Amino acid sequence: MARRINIKRMLGGTISFVILAALLALFFAYRAHSTQIHPPRFTVSVRQLPYYAFCSFYRMLAAYALALLFSIVYGLTAARGRMYERIMIPAIDVAQSVPVIGFFPAAVYFFVSLAHGRLGVELAAIFLIFTSQAWNMALGVFEAAKTIPGDSIEALETFGVSGWLKFKRLLLPACVPKLVYNSILSWVAGWYFLIACEIITVGPAHYRLPGLGSYLMEAADRGRTGELIAGLLTLLVIIIAMDLFIWQPLSAWSEKFRYEFAASAPPMQTMIGASALAWFSGALFGTARILALPFRLAGWMFRGISGAMPAVSLETRESAARIFRWMVIAGAVLMACGLAYSILRGIVALIEALVQPWPAEAWLIPKATLFSTLRMITAYLISLAWIIPCALYASDNPRLHQRLASIAEIVGSVPATALFPLIVLFVIRVTGGMNLASILLILTGMQWYLLFNLLAGVTQIPEDLKEAVRSFGLSRVAGWRRLVLPALMPSLITGSITAWGGGWNALILSEYFLYRGHTYQVLGLGALLDAATYQTGNTVMMLLSLLSMVLVVILLNRLIWRRLYDVVTERFRLDY
Amino acid sequence: MALLELSHISKSYPHAKGSLSVIDDVSFAISEGEFIAIVGPSGCGKSTLLRIINGIVPQSSGQVLYNGRQIDGINLECALVFQSFALMPWLTVEDNVEMPLEARGVPPEVRRKRISFYIDKVGLDGFEEAYPRELSGGMKQRVGLARALAAEPRVLLMDEPFSALDALTAITLREELLDIWRLPDSPVHTILMVTHIIEEAIELADRIMVMGAHPGRLIADLKVDLPRPRDRRAEGFNVYADKVFSLIEERS
Repeated sequence: MARRINIKRMLGGTISFVILAALLALFFAYRAHSTQIHPPRFTVSVRQLPYYAFCSFYRMLAAYALALLFSIVYGLTAARGRMYERIMIPAIDVAQSVPVIGFFPAAVYFFVSLAHGRLGVELAAIFLIFTSQAWNMALGVFEAAKTIPGDSIEALETFGVSGWLKFKRLLLPACVPKLVYNSILSWVAGWYFLIACEIITVGPAHYRLPGLGSYLMEAADRGRTGELIAGLLTLLVIIIAMDLFIWQPLSAWSEKFRYEFAASAPPMQTMIGASALAWFSGALFGTARILALPFRLAGWMFRGISGAMPAVSLETRESAARIFRWMVIAGAVLMACGLAYSILRGIVALIEALVQPWPAEAWLIPKATLFSTLRMITAYLISLAWIIPCALYASDNPRLHQRLASIAEIVGSVPATALFPLIVLFVIRVTGGMNLASILLILTGMQWYLLFNLLAGVTQIPEDLKEAVRSFGLSRVAGWRRLVLPALMPSLITGSITAWGGGWNALILSEYFLYRGHTYQVLGLGALLDAATYQTGNTVMMLLSLLSMVLVVILLNRLIWRRLYDVVTERFRLDY
Repeated sequence: MALLELSHISKSYPHAKGSLSVIDDVSFAISEGEFIAIVGPSGCGKSTLLRIINGIVPQSSGQVLYNGRQIDGINLECALVFQSFALMPWLTVEDNVEMPLEARGVPPEVRRKRISFYIDKVGLDGFEEAYPRELSGGMKQRVGLARALAAEPRVLLMDEPFSALDALTAITLREELLDIWRLPDSPVHTILMVTHIIEEAIELADRIMVMGAHPGRLIADLKVDLPRPRDRRAEGFNVYADKVFSLIEERS
């Protein structure tokens, strides 16, 4: 049984790798069509600051609105049945752990070729922020919808509640607490990547969108410390104001949607026993159903409208419904064909790109992969070393817990990329090592996910277990060992997966550094990718280094994280 | 001298409008060998009172005296059995029972022996390696009982121990609890049980403390003079049941 699952896992890994690689190659293929953009002049001045803050905020808001819509539709659909779940959840998993920043150049080519000039760049930026916000929210919605107690659903069904009413009365309210919590995380992630999203590089041309991110980067790059601090303060004011006036009231409000029940519904077991063939056909069928979904949504709306018009005769309505059903099927087939076509085109583009002569640096890739992975491991160990003790102390100190959470929200939101010049120069001056600097920079993009997940895990430790530990007089340390650590294991694993995802993103920004015309770099995948993007413009190198990174990410996920996750969720589940 | 003495225990929580009083001036004493039941409507603070005696919840005022001495923090001579069992889902039956022994610094060789003795005593031998989620509700509560007994406390505190079980399982476990209380080789002969099932209290206890709600206070301290084993259909039984019912009704 275990073997079969492994084969399935490797198959899934290979499929996702090929699809990603193909889409990536297709994106890059657009490069030929993209026209030159002329970067406007960018001024760094405190007087412009409110305008920049306004631009950044609305960019974030637009991306967040998209992410919210996406996550509700995606999460609820994935929770509709096994068929959907089998495709959609692994897809999110890959999207979450793949270094999205690495795909930026490709995405930019794509959007700029869709809409020229600033509009294209704005769209690209919004899309990039969206990719840093959407996945965890969608997963949160999915989890919330999956854990709705069966009797609540049955209760609604016995009253004949379905469709829109079921969505409004049951599904959406059930998702509110997770959605609010994950929205906070998403905004943190969004602010962190603001700079990477507002400064967009297409080959040799840099485009700076007016915004806080560009402002901070320019101020740091020109060594204007005063303006840099003013920019950071502005950002801090926005973050704290949002926390006070939006997130805290929303969190308090979302509490009333929380289910209070002793034992959660038994989690569904994974598909043990299904043969690989059945899995594959199921996957195909599931994809078709997912593709048909927008049409079915339209169908609901249509039915709603026609239901509201009593004048239309029954026959007319029925024949309209029949036509509509055919349209749905045709539409889904069309979309499936489109998807298959683009994957095929992508594979062709991938092969075309890879048969070109490889540059000499290509042979550095294995070594670079190893070094980058080692840097990631080091940063991960450092995060664990400080975050686990923090979580343990927070477990029996609610005030510390709250303080840590708000500090993490604020500090984690600071786009550390703006501070990179300061950090890099300082570390290099003190120790002379760019390696240490780059590990520190990875840390800024990695650690918060771990902290947030562990802090959330701490709040889920049942009160009666805490009482039992105290009642039997266990010392603090014994209580950590017997209760808190085991109870935190699932959060530790999910936190680690997202932390590694954030880490890979930060890695791309942190191995290669351009400051006042001077390049600081270490050998690594991120550095190779950046050098190819900013200096040589060599598509093959971009593609090769990105593909190696994606390969490492998928291998680590399949071989380590998925396995650990299965073991841990089985052994350290909190239902008893 | 009383083994355990509560004097003028009050508990209140900070509240939007000043403070919310949960327990108001409760005093009583427990002697060695007594089986005492606390009954009362929900919200009368009976579970909180149990936790104050154990020391996991601090009282707002008043004193808990054990053997005439005031106890600060957790009283390790007490052991608590939970309504929800409160077993660690990732520990085996054995490891769950080991927890209080670990806390009391019992040497490993003694631990092994004690663990198997008490697992045996609650009738779970053969299940040492099982995880709580593999056990039925009744078996889980047996683990909870074994865990409390293994601490070899002088006072066994029980918070609605049979409320989460089905009626038939509860009947068996009540009988076994009485055996443990009575038999001379048991570690503990003093039991304080919180329950909202009045018949359960009359069947088991020597004395029934009747509490009223809002705020929780002691209404009556009732001695149960019925021969053991007690029969729920006996006439005397119903007299007591009516009395407790009317006491609770009157005050609420």
